[in-house]
Amino acid sequence: MLVPSSGTGQYAALSAKIIRFVRHGCTNRPFFHIVVAERRREQFEPVIEQVGSYDPMPNERNEKLVSLNLERIAYWLGNGADCTKPVQELLGLSGFLPIHPLSYMAAWKNRQAAEAAVVEEKPEGDHK
Amino acid sequence: MSVFRHFSRKLVLNTFKSDIKLQINTHCSVCLRFLSYQPIHYDGKPDPGPVFIKKEVQTLLRTLTRVDLAKVFKKRRFGETQLQQPVYKFMTDEQLQEAYEEAKKKVDTFLQIPPVVAVRKPKDKVLSKDPALQGLDTSAFVFTDISYGVRDSERMILVRETDGTLREADWETRDRINQLYFPVAQRQIQTPKMFQDSNLEDLLKRGEYNFILDRACLQFDPNDPLYQKIVSITYQCVNDNNHFNELRSTRHFGSFVFFLAWNKLIDNLLLDIIESEHIEEAKALVELYSHIHQVKYESKENLQQIDEYIKNHASKKAALELAFQAYKNAAKRKGEVEEGIKRAHGLS
Repeated sequence: MLVPSSGTGQYAALSAKIIRFVRHGCTNRPFFHIVVAERRREQFEPVIEQVGSYDPMPNERNEKLVSLNLERIAYWLGNGADCTKPVQELLGLSGFLPIHPLSYMAAWKNRQAAEAAVVEEKPEGDHK
Repeated sequence: MSVFRHFSRKLVLNTFKSDIKLQINTHCSVCLRFLSYQPIHYDGKPDPGPVFIKKEVQTLLRTLTRVDLAKVFKKRRFGETQLQQPVYKFMTDEQLQEAYEEAKKKVDTFLQIPPVVAVRKPKDKVLSKDPALQGLDTSAFVFTDISYGVRDSERMILVRETDGTLREADWETRDRINQLYFPVAQRQIQTPKMFQDSNLEDLLKRGEYNFILDRACLQFDPNDPLYQKIVSITYQCVNDNNHFNELRSTRHFGSFVFFLAWNKLIDNLLLDIIESEHIEEAKALVELYSHIHQVKYESKENLQQIDEYIKNHASKKAALELAFQAYKNAAKRKGEVEEGIKRAHGLS
């Protein structure tokens, strides 16, 4: 039987829940649903509930679109659901949770890399 | 009567001509044609909403709309799609009367006047600034709260910029995102090309007022500055060309009249109404003007109120006075003829 990707609403009462991505979309075109699922389930098994979506490819205005059903996310977090790190990072950027340390680390690393690239370019420019 | 009409029309036309000449002198010739209409927004000083929503004002606007059932239920062009074939029936007189009553009930939904509200204020609230997030990503994140049961205008839509600022999305982004996640049927994510200045000008030249206004109603919120720009330009065009019959019996006539009254431009319409001898509407229009601008007329009688408006507030005094005098003469003569007929029949 086919199950809706928006979730079945069925779960074992005492199972551990987790809010995580499920990769939809196709080859070379990722698109993620943010779902509440039982932790022991595989990625493409039926989920409990979809609580958002994330499009990691920027649109023509250079925006990445994230939708979050904050009411349901708050409900599941209140019921002891866990979050994966990417979801925690998104929730942090949205201002719902504190910003995740990984975001700061990634930003810092990117800045370092950019500075290094600038330093590398400069000597070449001097030669010319 | 016809002589008077001719004269008054001539007068109005002449005043237009002088207007156009003035514009040629003052503006460059390129911006003369269409952009001679400046968009007029309801800037919220004072707020038109509470005045518009008043029961008396709504009744006046409805009176001025001059409902014509044949026009409300006329055939509409939907392109390829055909909705339903008409059904022809034989009916007795009572059944026909019932059918008319049914139709009259439906009119209200067809003639819902688009709301008149002040233009919205820009959204630029910054929630947090975090320079430590610079360089995290090369594109901005747009976060939308899709919780159930929240209105489009109240939905939380935030943007995390590349420099780490978290701020509220501006209105343009909000409209786009709302249409993306919660689509309104037939509304487009991008503004249709017909609303670009050059295309709009062409449409106005062809007199497609209803098409513009219907589409604008569908595409924009009434407090959108772009909506108010398009609509105000269309209204001014209709007013200047005296194409009032295009908008009569449509939902747009109410907000059109309100716009004219709000900006003190009702003289053309008043002239049109008096010339076509709909004196009830002329009274309603003058009353609407008094409601909006808190003008108190000294006389209680309606005809005298119109006279008073023409004397004290009208800008095209001469033409209006002429037309009103002509109406009064015609009405007097009509009364005399009726009296004569009655006398001839021995009724008085």
